[in-house]
Amino acid sequence: MILFSYLLMSGVTTGALYALVALGLVVVNKATGVINFAQGEFFMFSGFVAWVLHVQLGLNYAVTFLFTIAIGFGLGALTDRIAFRPIAKADVVSLVLATVGIAFVLKGIARVLWGGKGDYLSFPSITSPDPITVFGLMVIPQQLAVLAGTIVILILFAAFFRLTRAGKMMQATADNAKAAVLVGIQTDKIYTLAFGTGAAIAAAAAVLTAPITLLYPDLGFPIFLKGFAAAVMGGLMSLPGAVLGGVILGVAESLAGGYIHSSVMELSPFIVIMIVLVFRPNGLFGFQTSRRV
Amino acid sequence: MAPFRRRNVLLVLLAIAIIVPPFANYYYLFVANLVAIYVLLAIGLNILVGYTGQLAFANAAMFGIGAYATGLLQVRLGWSFWLAFPVGGVIAAAVGLAISLPALRLKGLYLALSTLAFAQATQWVFLHWDAVTFGAGGFKTPPLSFDPLPISKPLGLYYLSLLLAVVLFLFAQNLVASRVGRAFIALRDSDFAAESLGVDLLRYKALAFGVSGFYAGIAGGLNSALLNFVAPEGFDLFQMVLQKAMIVVGGLGSIVGSLLGAGIIVILLEVLREVKGLQEIVFGALLVIFVLFMRGGLVGLLKRKVRGWEEPLRLVSRRVRPKQSETSQTAARTEKADS
Repeated sequence: MILFSYLLMSGVTTGALYALVALGLVVVNKATGVINFAQGEFFMFSGFVAWVLHVQLGLNYAVTFLFTIAIGFGLGALTDRIAFRPIAKADVVSLVLATVGIAFVLKGIARVLWGGKGDYLSFPSITSPDPITVFGLMVIPQQLAVLAGTIVILILFAAFFRLTRAGKMMQATADNAKAAVLVGIQTDKIYTLAFGTGAAIAAAAAVLTAPITLLYPDLGFPIFLKGFAAAVMGGLMSLPGAVLGGVILGVAESLAGGYIHSSVMELSPFIVIMIVLVFRPNGLFGFQTSRRV
Repeated sequence: MAPFRRRNVLLVLLAIAIIVPPFANYYYLFVANLVAIYVLLAIGLNILVGYTGQLAFANAAMFGIGAYATGLLQVRLGWSFWLAFPVGGVIAAAVGLAISLPALRLKGLYLALSTLAFAQATQWVFLHWDAVTFGAGGFKTPPLSFDPLPISKPLGLYYLSLLLAVVLFLFAQNLVASRVGRAFIALRDSDFAAESLGVDLLRYKALAFGVSGFYAGIAGGLNSALLNFVAPEGFDLFQMVLQKAMIVVGGLGSIVGSLLGAGIIVILLEVLREVKGLQEIVFGALLVIFVLFMRGGLVGLLKRKVRGWEEPLRLVSRRVRPKQSETSQTAARTEKADS
């Protein structure tokens, strides 16, 4: 029971990370119809930026957090300008390959800048590293911080979509881009905003989880892949679906690692997603949309 | 006549590829051999991604399956290379067919995810199934000998690779210009339209995956013999991006483009071998630049600037008999998409 609760807790924490990455992917996909393959690299790169700000320049955690999110937003907006806007009408294969290219450029830059400094860079934890007991469950404080941070981000995000003008314009564009243009929404700006927001979420996730994941240039892709899997579970269009998908994958991974073998951990999300895709090709919560010819 | 037309250029390249290597040093021979292997990989991937339009990311894994199958059949079962190598190619083709089964229901981004997941799972098997695959450290394959032919191993392997590259190049050229190739292109441009014209989506998608898997498997077998060594890291994500960069730089939906792309990327790879970060930056940037500014790749440029570089699809569509309205429509579409 102690093992189970521990695994569940760490699974939910990892799941929260996947959920945030998936959320960023879904925001971009809803607006533009593209999966941004550089999302994981945004995460990795923002983590390193936060490390520079916090560890090398000695800024405090809150300031680091805000700066990193701003830089993440900039990276996302830049990706939109470079790899999406000029070719927005191209086929999915080209668009995806362009984001794959961006991902590799970022990974290469990170390797040149920070790759030589040991295998991993560790990011200091804002909380004490000793486990504490909450309601009889043993948890590591940083996990609670990650969970709390994720919940705050989710609430802010929902509020942004429901309450702000920009959020409503994003929803309108996602719903029907042509109609959005007709009512005077500048969809180009919405696309930039979507890419920026997606990357900013990845940056926030990076600052929250860097103390747990540690930092290395190859960190991005596995995280992207699991976020992608989580987003697919939700049908690529549903924000709550993406969050739920992330938590399911995180818990599945953690339980497989604890009860089967630790090496199965990396594999389990892919097995889960393969099974999901075989039986529900549009995701667990996806629904069959009318076929576009 | 155009002196730089495609056939002339390719024949000159082939003549150079046949005559020069016996006089080249081992390193250049190695690089030339690598080019031949990557030409196979790029052609296979281009058939699947460029012609059939499937957003698949499992080609590096297929490459690995071919290499592991060829290597393990020799090491574990004591087979000779000459038996293990073709069987390795067939195994990769079979795996390609097998993964196409779930993929037949999926498309676009869902297909991308399922093939990525498959590639990660393959990596995992290479790394963790120690009892068979020797785990993370990889394994050495037995030395290859060309007895009784009086030829050294590097040179023999080079000519073998070249022969296979030429034969499979010609096969691919004919395949994409055939009824099958036109079905691939039709299903890339619009699968519903293709289906309504009577193209059996299931069959042609599976075929594209199988052919692409076979090319990658053959390339994997040759690669294991070239390096005398097989290890998981050769078939990772970087390998996948390398292959994607080849077909994008050379030209999506062009067999000759695959050849050009493979040559250029392998040479760049060797030039930049010292710094992995720099390789990633350059290949990533090449992908972005070519997608943005030169969607047709180098071949697109050559088609516009040099006379005699048009793809043979045009010739085929002229030959189509008028009573086959189905194929001529597809061919017309093909021609439009290709020009």
